[in-house]
Amino acid sequence: MAKISFILNEEKRSVEVEPNQTLLDVLRDKLGVKSPKCGCDRGDCGACAVLLNGRSVRSCLILAVEVEGQEVRTLEGISQPKLTQLQENFVAMNSFQCGFCTPGVIITATELLEKNPHPDLAEIQEALSGNLCRCTGYKPIFEAILKTAKRGRS
Amino acid sequence: MAITHEFKYFRPTNLAEIIELLHKYGDKAKLLAGGTDLTVNIKENIEQPEAVIDIKAVPELSILDNGKDGLFIGANVTFTDLLEAKAIQKDYLLLWEAARSVASVGIRNRATLIGNICSAVPSLDSAPALLCYDAVVHLQNYKGKREVPISEWFLGPRKTARKADELVLGVSLLKPRGKHTGCYLKLGRYNGEDLAQAGLALLASASDDYKAAWCAVGPVPKRSSKIEDLLHGKSITPELIRKAKALVADEISPITDLRASREYRLHLCEIMLERGLQVCQMRLQGKKIDTRNILGG
Amino acid sequence: MSEYKFVGKPEIRIDGREKVSGAAVYVDDLDFGPNLLYAEIVGSTQAHALIKKIDVRAALKVEGVVKVFTGKDFPYQFGLYVQDRYIFAQDRVRFVGEQVAAVIGRTPQAAKRGAQLVKVEYEPLPAVFNQMEALAEKSVLLHPQMGEYSHVPWFYPQPGTNIAHWRKTRKGDLEKGFQEADLILEDEYHVPRYAHCALETHVAIGKYDLSGRLTVWSSSQSPHTQRNLFAEALGPLGLTHKDIRVITPHVGGGFGGKAGVTMEIIPAALATKLPGYAVKLRWTREQEFINTYQRLGVVAKIKVGVKKDGTITALDHKLYWDAGAYVEYGANVVNAVGLSAIGPYRIPNVSIDSVCVYTNLPPGGPYRGFGYSEMLFGLESHMTRIAKKLGMDEVQFRLKNAIREGDTTAYGVPMNPNGLIECIEKAAKAIDWNKKIVSKDPRKVIGKGFSLFWKAPAMPPNASSSAFLKFNEDGSINLIISGMDIGQGYQTVMAQIAAEILSVPPSKIRVETPDTDRNPYEWQTVASHITWGSGNAVKKAALDAKEQILSLVERVFCLPKDQLYLEDEAVKCTSRKNFCLPLKDFVVNGIMQLDGTYKGGPINGRGMFLPEFSSANCDPETSQGGHPNVHYTVGAGALLLEIDQETGKMRVLKAAEAIDAGQAINPDLIKGQIVGGLMQGLATVLYEDMRYDDKGKLLNPNFTDYKIPTALDVPDEIIPIIVEVPQPDGPFGARGIGEHTMLPAAPMIANAIEDALNIRLKEMPLTAEKVALAVVHKSKSKPKNKDK
Repeated sequence: MAKISFILNEEKRSVEVEPNQTLLDVLRDKLGVKSPKCGCDRGDCGACAVLLNGRSVRSCLILAVEVEGQEVRTLEGISQPKLTQLQENFVAMNSFQCGFCTPGVIITATELLEKNPHPDLAEIQEALSGNLCRCTGYKPIFEAILKTAKRGRS
Repeated sequence: MAITHEFKYFRPTNLAEIIELLHKYGDKAKLLAGGTDLTVNIKENIEQPEAVIDIKAVPELSILDNGKDGLFIGANVTFTDLLEAKAIQKDYLLLWEAARSVASVGIRNRATLIGNICSAVPSLDSAPALLCYDAVVHLQNYKGKREVPISEWFLGPRKTARKADELVLGVSLLKPRGKHTGCYLKLGRYNGEDLAQAGLALLASASDDYKAAWCAVGPVPKRSSKIEDLLHGKSITPELIRKAKALVADEISPITDLRASREYRLHLCEIMLERGLQVCQMRLQGKKIDTRNILGG
Repeated sequence: MSEYKFVGKPEIRIDGREKVSGAAVYVDDLDFGPNLLYAEIVGSTQAHALIKKIDVRAALKVEGVVKVFTGKDFPYQFGLYVQDRYIFAQDRVRFVGEQVAAVIGRTPQAAKRGAQLVKVEYEPLPAVFNQMEALAEKSVLLHPQMGEYSHVPWFYPQPGTNIAHWRKTRKGDLEKGFQEADLILEDEYHVPRYAHCALETHVAIGKYDLSGRLTVWSSSQSPHTQRNLFAEALGPLGLTHKDIRVITPHVGGGFGGKAGVTMEIIPAALATKLPGYAVKLRWTREQEFINTYQRLGVVAKIKVGVKKDGTITALDHKLYWDAGAYVEYGANVVNAVGLSAIGPYRIPNVSIDSVCVYTNLPPGGPYRGFGYSEMLFGLESHMTRIAKKLGMDEVQFRLKNAIREGDTTAYGVPMNPNGLIECIEKAAKAIDWNKKIVSKDPRKVIGKGFSLFWKAPAMPPNASSSAFLKFNEDGSINLIISGMDIGQGYQTVMAQIAAEILSVPPSKIRVETPDTDRNPYEWQTVASHITWGSGNAVKKAALDAKEQILSLVERVFCLPKDQLYLEDEAVKCTSRKNFCLPLKDFVVNGIMQLDGTYKGGPINGRGMFLPEFSSANCDPETSQGGHPNVHYTVGAGALLLEIDQETGKMRVLKAAEAIDAGQAINPDLIKGQIVGGLMQGLATVLYEDMRYDDKGKLLNPNFTDYKIPTALDVPDEIIPIIVEVPQPDGPFGARGIGEHTMLPAAPMIANAIEDALNIRLKEMPLTAEKVALAVVHKSKSKPKNKDK
């Protein structure tokens, strides 16, 4: 067991982990962070996406020990103190169905909008291509992101 | 999900520590950069290392140096780093297109180019471009440094020239001289992320010098010397393309597997060569072409 | 145009904030503390074998392993329509991956390590992986004791064969029908298996407390049916429904795969042997591919006769289903299609044979469309071909033969009111059907594809829904129902129905996930029937509450009930404009009188719906005489497909889908189903591709090699068209549509490919590779044309 410390959703957290525990499992089972989901365990589906130092990553492919001293942000952090404009648009436009892929999608979309505040449809599709959604057919998700992107235009 | 295999984890902060650990553990150690390949293999018990050496905390390995004469890509440089670095798209278009074709953002943010060439899966996207640029792999172990040209790097599926106690420091590429362009075409089963069922990199200079390299259509990625010789010194015409296509079957040895049949691969490789050469021609004329949907779909 | 306030409006979903904030709880998110044990399954490596020995000694020695269980511990059978399935394999295994043993560990690692050390000795039996081989006389029998299985009375197994059920439908005089035909077309179509690929894998947690009470938390479409199947299977242990509680939180996608009971019975059973503990079993993605329901495969032989003027005179439709090793649910897929493989057509002379065949592959089961996608691939491909042979436009052909209200279905019942003609006309118009479009790119060709579709809910005649409704002190409502929101937005739709009756907006109506202890019965969330069935129950519950409210106000204020109405969350009176009594003032507390007494009290509504006209009784040789399907939902689809002739890669430029929803309770959610369903349908025809080796092992149980759509694979334009011809017995005229939206995809693509390239592909999937090589082979077989 090793003790690791890192910033989780702007709070300093410490936890005992084994080298062979993934970040996804440690977040869910030891730190009470349930929004990242396990969809495939191989990095193919994006349901486990979290932001590591501002970049979206597959937490199922990261060993918890690797994030020592780093910054991790999950949907729980993004949703506080209140839902972002992106999230409000998802609600308003029914851009989800079963909701299982939604945390990963919002993580990826958040990263996209932070890097590129006004993406076009092609850029949105490219950015989201690693988040599998079986329910929506993606179009309502594009619309919510486009709406968020347009709003920011000065 | 649970990883049953137990291992020691090290996180050295300088190069000497890595070299020492490699000397100690040899083939019982695995180097960890992005982990997008290694972590899956440990989960599925394909790899069972005694020691995992995380190299991300060593600053020398994170160098991405786009210099006047050439490019150096350190072991920790991710595909996203390549895509975001200024001037890579302009100076090394071929490499840039290959980087863009890898998986998706979430993977590219972690996966490293060096990790890709060390995995040496036959479908790896970075290899054809590196072969066209005549890249050189830089290694180091406790005995010292050495270099291996990329053409001698891939020895077989998942086999490279790296010795068990060696660390790959990075690859270097010389900047091609004069006006030139290139493209990387990738055959997948659909528009979404996929492992290449065939990959073709082309480097074309305005002075009619060509380099062509394939991946996923043989046990190792390799250059196409017959096609290069045919094209050398000539400008692209439909007749030349037809002749080049006729050489494809001799240059590659695709198999039938889960992802595609041999027959389809052979057929598509001819199409890819044709369209790739046409793209190079148009790009040399200054036209802007997006190669992502060049095969349709 | 909707004359309602909430029904027919694109209300935003009431589960939105939960899902986008990460607050929504799915089964694997639940915490159980230190008393949680983990189960890891040992799956069979053989497709068909006797189990000679299971050696668990090494597994038991692993630190953290608590116990190991095998079939000996649970010799019980279960099944929804046929009891042919086992909690653990007993004397033999029948598919690769079938559960043989379970290792229980205090940590997931311990359980997994233990499972890796369990040694099973098999004696292989001949295996059969193809339904046509399984039908051959000399084939090995997978269920020699088939005759002993109990099953619903409307199934017809054939003991001594691998035929688990044979649905025969005969209408009119087939021979005469073909004699009347001027043109007959006969051919065969193949559809393989497919996987649901919901993002959340199957997961369940069983807990058997020290008082003898079993609780199961599962990701499921069917909490009450699960409880029922657990009670039946575990009855020998002394458990009945009273002792079993099923709680189903949010579901991360179902698509039919989480209906009935599959792996959930394992932790339910294991828990009974581990009192005081909770036991979790979660499928990995690989296990999800190999040991849950798969969509059945089918070989369809179709023969159609038509007159010169395009009238269809006869249809002979034979479907042979690869139903897998256990058919407890899959046999009903076969049954449903056996009643409906006439398609949405008026055909006087019909013969349908739908044959359910055991094979040594994973169990086939419910998958969005319930056999109709598979059936329509062949039928709608065939109809287009026959129209072309007649020289008739295929849309005109379909308009001519489309089933209309009152026409008889294959089993002799009149067809319900429907807007099929309107759907056909609108779908065709939406893509400019009569316009010929040519690609600007000389390498590409553009083809048009068309398809009709229909489906009826496949349910037992007593499938019912019920609803409780209660008010809270702030005038908000809790709707207590047992349907599941599996993504479709069911909770919101039910809220809209209650809102319409009670004038309380959906944002003030809470609909939570069910608990079989607290929520009244709902058969299952399947069959696209709960908007209709559960909607009817909710409407009745709301009307019941309204009746109580108005009767109370009539009594207390001496106002005639027929002058009272509800508006803006208050009781108002047509004859007294000033009368306005807010609901929140009395729906819990009652109405206070001047003398200090109170009248009334908490208003609780109750509703139930069961289609009392439905009956599965019929002549087993003809299927005539019963009323097995409550009604059909119909629709039509059209698309434009661009094909790169050299690479075979295809792009859907435009797809229109028209569906008759009766009354769209929430048009936005219907559009969501059209977009999502069409994507799922297109994926099955264009790139989803299950590959088995010759020993029955699935070679691509992961998303790396079983490709489902990404954001880059979306058609350029999808045009959803909602048609509304009311369903007389539906709530506000509504009918279900959830499954239907994927049905036309595959035949539309096949028809578009033929339109573009003059190549007819009859075996799904129709991948880029197949198209490219078909073009290559076709040009090789053409004689050299010097004029070219």
